[in-house]
Amino acid sequence: MENLLEVQQLSKNFKENCVLDHISFHVGKGEILCLLGPNGAGKSTTINILLGLLRRDGGIISYNGKKIDRNLRSYKQKLGVVPQDLALYEELSAERNARFFTALYGLRGAKLDAAVEEALTFAGLADRRNDKVKTFSGGMKRRLNIACAIAHHPELVVMDEPTVGIDPQSRNHILTSIKKLQQNGMTVLYTTHYMEEVEEISSRIIIIDHGRIIAEGTKEKLKEDIQSEKRYHIELEEGCSVPAEGFYAVEGVREVKSAGGHIDIVSVRGVENLDRIISLISDGGAHIRNISSEEASLETVFLKLTGRKLRD
Amino acid sequence: MYRFWQIFKMDLGNNFKNPILINYNTVFAIAMILIMGYLSSGNYTNGIDSYNYYAVAFLIFGMLEGAMTATNCFMERDIKKPNLRILYSPCGRFPVYFSKIAASFVFDYVLHAALCFVFVPMGINLGGWNLGWLLLMMAPVEFASAALGVLFCCIFHCEETASSILSLFVSIFAFLGGAFFSLDGMGAALAFASRLSPVKWLIDAFFAVIYDGNLSVVAPVLLISTAVGALLTFGCAKTFRTEDYL
Repeated sequence: MENLLEVQQLSKNFKENCVLDHISFHVGKGEILCLLGPNGAGKSTTINILLGLLRRDGGIISYNGKKIDRNLRSYKQKLGVVPQDLALYEELSAERNARFFTALYGLRGAKLDAAVEEALTFAGLADRRNDKVKTFSGGMKRRLNIACAIAHHPELVVMDEPTVGIDPQSRNHILTSIKKLQQNGMTVLYTTHYMEEVEEISSRIIIIDHGRIIAEGTKEKLKEDIQSEKRYHIELEEGCSVPAEGFYAVEGVREVKSAGGHIDIVSVRGVENLDRIISLISDGGAHIRNISSEEASLETVFLKLTGRKLRD
Repeated sequence: MYRFWQIFKMDLGNNFKNPILINYNTVFAIAMILIMGYLSSGNYTNGIDSYNYYAVAFLIFGMLEGAMTATNCFMERDIKKPNLRILYSPCGRFPVYFSKIAASFVFDYVLHAALCFVFVPMGINLGGWNLGWLLLMMAPVEFASAALGVLFCCIFHCEETASSILSLFVSIFAFLGGAFFSLDGMGAALAFASRLSPVKWLIDAFFAVIYDGNLSVVAPVLLISTAVGALLTFGCAKTFRTEDYL
């Protein structure tokens, strides 16, 4: 896949605080690249640097092989931006907003009319075009926020957490729209801290934490990396406990955490050792209340890579 | 130019849709002139009466307060977010701050010029045909005020801070300049302090045109305020950073 955007050794410090630590990645033409990470991971800083709003301390950003610093205007012409906060004039109609923001990309006359019409229809707001934005629901405003970003037919759409604080129905509409954008040939760079969104739309994922890229790949690849393991969660009857050390004698067991009657065991996939684990618990005089095993998900990938849950 | 025009139209429209800004520049100004004119009617007996004095004084005060229109236009909370989208576009930095200066200037100038035309039928003396010279002198002063408002936003990165500091400065200048009452008869020290205020210079220049028909003050006012406006705009160009908008 041809690279549309290429980022090399990007770094940014806020005073003493290193926010981006020499990260490198690329966005392939036609893909939906999800930048996933908890709040404060460095996602928005990365996006704001890519949009030319924030100065970087180091690194190179190239678009279609050309450094953006020398071609900032033509680079921005090819971008569509859906900011995290709603960037709309509340006192104006949906159409007036879309017309204004599209005109900033140089469209005028019949081209502007057609682009606005298409974008409002795409966002499902054509019938509310003359209504003031302040009368819209949160979901409708989010959809208009997207319409204003895509009306000029950008090559790369940058979306910074576009579904924050909206109802599930509107979120589904937006996620479906993003997939449609990809089908229409647009490339999408999408930041979020919602795993389920990444699961649904991503072509590729970059997991970022503390300003560093900690994993990169398709969701299948990332899951596969931890598919070599399986996890057991064992809940003991009240008052029972088993020391963690004993489980390491069982073949395949890699990691054990035991606390307050709950035991989490990470074991090598393919080694059948559950009966041995159960025996060990029974021999220790403890009684099991519940056992479950966990399939790999992006949540577990993230937990394994960072040691914390995504919304921590 | 097309893009700048789009932004300018939007900024100007937003100003004219703001009832607080419109009322502050019109109804409030007239009310203040009537109240202050009535309260101090006994203090002005010869030549300029109190209504005539406060009409000019508050007109000039309002022109300097125009800086607050610009801070509102540039960084008001509800406007700042959509303004950010302008920065995402390929317009560049210049149209972002300069359209705010231009839109605030036009907005304030139109309202204050309209005030002048309201004053005349109210019996306020604005110099007859010399009103044209007053309107000419008002333009670069309004522009410099708007540029000052935007510059303060660029420096302080926050509308509230910029407006608070500007308001303080303008009020001090207005007080010293005699916008609320003349300090000329209150001792040599206050009279000297009064002469340091641009409000005083402008009041004197306006009265020179209105009552003496002295047009020699027009060129200095035009030149100095144009130079100040240009300098402040240059300051905006130097201090405006897109990250301050985030």
